[in-house]
Amino acid sequence: MEQFLQAAVIGISLGAQYALLALGFTLIFGILGVVNFAHGGFYMIGGYVAYSCVGLLGLPYPLAVLIAVAATAALGWVFELFLLERLIDDHLATLMLTLGLYLIVSNGLLRVFGPLSMEFSFPVSGSIQFGPIYVPRENLIVLGICLSAILALWLVLFRTDLGRALRALADDRQVAMAQGMRPKLLFPAAFALATGLAGLTGALVTPILALSPGVGDPVLATSFLTVILGGLGSLGGAALAAFIVGIVEAYSSVYFGGSIGALVLFTLVLLLLVFRPTGLLGREIRGA
Amino acid sequence: MLLQIDALHVRYGGITALSGVSIDVPEGETVLLVGANGAGKSSTINAIIGLVSPSGGRIVFDGKDLATTPCERRARLGIGYSPEGRRVFPTLSVTDNVLSGAFGLGRAKQKEALDWLRSVFPLLVDREKQPAGQLSGGQQQIVALSRAMASFPRLLLLDEPFLGLAPVWIQQISDAILQLRARGTTVLMTEQMARPALKLATRGYVMRGGEVRRSGTVSEIRDLALADEYL
Repeated sequence: MEQFLQAAVIGISLGAQYALLALGFTLIFGILGVVNFAHGGFYMIGGYVAYSCVGLLGLPYPLAVLIAVAATAALGWVFELFLLERLIDDHLATLMLTLGLYLIVSNGLLRVFGPLSMEFSFPVSGSIQFGPIYVPRENLIVLGICLSAILALWLVLFRTDLGRALRALADDRQVAMAQGMRPKLLFPAAFALATGLAGLTGALVTPILALSPGVGDPVLATSFLTVILGGLGSLGGAALAAFIVGIVEAYSSVYFGGSIGALVLFTLVLLLLVFRPTGLLGREIRGA
Repeated sequence: MLLQIDALHVRYGGITALSGVSIDVPEGETVLLVGANGAGKSSTINAIIGLVSPSGGRIVFDGKDLATTPCERRARLGIGYSPEGRRVFPTLSVTDNVLSGAFGLGRAKQKEALDWLRSVFPLLVDREKQPAGQLSGGQQQIVALSRAMASFPRLLLLDEPFLGLAPVWIQQISDAILQLRARGTTVLMTEQMARPALKLATRGYVMRGGEVRRSGTVSEIRDLALADEYL
């Protein structure tokens, strides 16, 4: 029973991390129609910026996280505005562009920081006991921040003019433009929001897991898997799927061993796609 | 003159949609473009709002040539737009659809618009949280119209607002257009169903094959407009 509860806590914690990543990924797809293969790259940049701030500049970790978010959001803004925006309606070109950016980022980091994992650890350690289970403090902190970020994203998207405009652009770009919404301002904002979330996750999670130039690959794969499961472009679906993925991964690892988790997940997604091609909460995709 | 269109040409590839169309819309009036399918009505509206680029001619709104004004800035100039086929934002709630028409105007103006539109259309209260994509055609038209009205535009472009609607909805929409006109909004509307539209219009243009065939007061165009209704 203890093991079961422990796995549930790990699963929820993982789910919150995946939700942040998947929400950003699906936000970009839903609004811009772009499959952002560079998403894992922004996660890595977030981790390396936080590491550099703490390890090289000696800044406190919370400030390093904020700088990592600002840096990845700014980079995302610039990338969308000056490169992606010019090819925004060409799906193949945007796919190649984001894939190219990912390769540049991962190889650039490899060149600058080398292939080895960085010595980067979370500044808080120890566990808190809840009845029969022990929960690492770092996991609780990351969970709290991730859930707060998800709530903040929800408030931006569903309680502000900006969020309404982004959702309107996702539904019908032409009509949204005719209501005065400017894609050239709003698309970079959406991209920056998503890449900032990826950077936040990277800054929070890499001190717990690992930080090396290859850590973006599994992040991209998990994000992709999650949004496919949730339904491409569906924010609610991405959040729901992220927690399913986290919990399935945690239980699979605990009861069947590490590598079985991925197998279970891919089997689950394949089965779902056979019976429900649009994913859990997805709809027919237009314009992409 | 609030809107002046002079010798407008629109082409889609090798196909001519508009050929030398000239239209005047005086401030405070309701002007009707009437004609059968393919007459060029929607192309005219789309050129005014900036969704298609004219290959020739001029569109002047309130003394400003719109040639270099992108679509999204035209809304800021005071042009509201309700497209053919309604095209509500299907995943947005009814309230969010309406508020999206008042994008960037600030909370006070948005609240004023929402309160007024809810008093005109009780549907906006009854279905406020429902995704607009789940509404019936008539209900969606009310939402699309409300969205176009939400910024209290100086010029309201309505592309086939009665298309496919039951008489009860046509009456509600007609009443709303009259209320908006009473607030000083100028209306340019297109319609195949000439009868209900002619009741609202003060002047009109009969279009065929991308050209204006007749223009004038409602009584001057009525016979040709009604003949086209059955084409």
